[in-house]
Amino acid sequence: MQTVWEWLPAIYLFLGGLGAGAFLVAATLEFLGKRYEFDFCPPTLVGAILPGPLVALGTVLLIFDLGAGLREPWRIFYMFTHFSSVMTWGIWILSVFIPLSLVYGFLEVMDTYPLVWERMTKRIPVRRIKRIVAAVGAVFAVATALYTGILLSAVGPAIPFWSTSVLPFLPIPMMPLLFLVSAISTGIGLTVDLSGTLALPDMQKRFRRLPLIHLALIGIEAVLLGLLLITAFVEGGAAAQAAQYIVIGPHSLVFWILIVLPGFAFPLAVHAYTLGLGRHPRLLHLGAGIGIVVAGLILRYVVLVSGIPVTL
Amino acid sequence: MKGKECGPVEKTALSRRRFLGLALASGAVASVGARFLEKSGQRDTAEVRSARYALVIDTAKCTGCRACVEACNLRNNLPEGQSYTYVLDKGDEQATWFLPVQCQHCADPPCAAVCPTRATYIHESGVVLINDKLCVGCKYCMVACPYQARIFDEERGIADKCWLCLEWVLNGDLPACVEACIPGAKIFGRTDDPDNEVSKLIASGRAKPLHPEFNTHPAVLSYIITEG
Repeated sequence: MQTVWEWLPAIYLFLGGLGAGAFLVAATLEFLGKRYEFDFCPPTLVGAILPGPLVALGTVLLIFDLGAGLREPWRIFYMFTHFSSVMTWGIWILSVFIPLSLVYGFLEVMDTYPLVWERMTKRIPVRRIKRIVAAVGAVFAVATALYTGILLSAVGPAIPFWSTSVLPFLPIPMMPLLFLVSAISTGIGLTVDLSGTLALPDMQKRFRRLPLIHLALIGIEAVLLGLLLITAFVEGGAAAQAAQYIVIGPHSLVFWILIVLPGFAFPLAVHAYTLGLGRHPRLLHLGAGIGIVVAGLILRYVVLVSGIPVTL
Repeated sequence: MKGKECGPVEKTALSRRRFLGLALASGAVASVGARFLEKSGQRDTAEVRSARYALVIDTAKCTGCRACVEACNLRNNLPEGQSYTYVLDKGDEQATWFLPVQCQHCADPPCAAVCPTRATYIHESGVVLINDKLCVGCKYCMVACPYQARIFDEERGIADKCWLCLEWVLNGDLPACVEACIPGAKIFGRTDDPDNEVSKLIASGRAKPLHPEFNTHPAVLSYIITEG
């Protein structure tokens, strides 16, 4: 068991990913023009409003996990200074992404409720600014999601499971990729399955290709997670031990019941059902959304605590 | 015994602070200089390849008594149960042997590379130190050290580590763990004297770094491993 980083960092990594994923959904709908097929588009509204507060909350939690930095907050500024540290990259990425997503959220609200902001919207080109913010923000959203994985993979030999490669002979770390895909997946879960379905009963019908895209994403995430565990087994040592802990060991109950079932099996079944029969059962979609988001949090927790230190 | 150990602790609590103050000043000057030269921290640390001191651990002599663990706790005034060094039980029931582990004072320390605040740095002697004025307590160094040599000081909220008792060593004395080692499994000395025991052990290739595959290039510690 890895006990240095537990729940607080797990929530922080999760919120970073969720915020980044939600932002990417909103930005994608914006650029595909899907946003403007609606007068009221819940996924873009939620995907624009929530990332700022979510990622900011994650950062506050990170600060609460600090020792001296919490007692003497000016020390946090030192964290901007060491560019060989992934955490310094993260602090910079978050410092750009949080304000950008707050601005994006505000612009989306202005665009959705133009009458409230009539005086301001007349003077400034809301949509043009929104597009620029969405484009720049999307780059930082991807960076945020990747950062949550690189933070772990960068520890190298100290925790072999975190630095497991994509394939046994391909030295690209898996964690950043897995966390990026998981971030987008939880983002869709939050903005489309959950918020979209709650606000508009026929949400899933309006985006015909969405269930297919989401199905593919969940499939890719399942493959990446499977590969991570297999590669860890092949690598042996502490990485294999971590994979064993997750699949059949002390974390297996949490893994199968709180990650695989709600985050993969159930949403896959729901989306496959939707695609196959063309039906859109609202409750099932809500369930899938909640399941994906919860599984995203638990996944990060399990990855953190399974980071068994290398055997000396 | 305890009183005898406690004496120098009181005295050195102050001098250690003064020492860290000096280290902070020189560290700040060095880091400002480094930034002006647009060098990364990694590059700074990579330039120091060998340290002024060497500590060789002969596992054949270690009896697992853990006097080193206790001595380190006392000299550094650490809370009960905490120490900069620990001893692993290795082997099986038939042939148990012991592996004392502490900071290896790497020339490429991952703890310093991942530290977002540059709190961890390499002293001119090659000893890896932590500047307690810069540390934010993010614990990234604790997860990144493959030797698991970092401990967390709950009172000050910073990551703490073995400093090779540098205050004593600079005055010609021994680190607490070496002084306390009853069977003489820890051999300490300067590397600039080719005739002393540590230099001979290293030159002959008998003393080797622990887990060189981690690529951290331990600069102070090396081991003579005899399994069983």
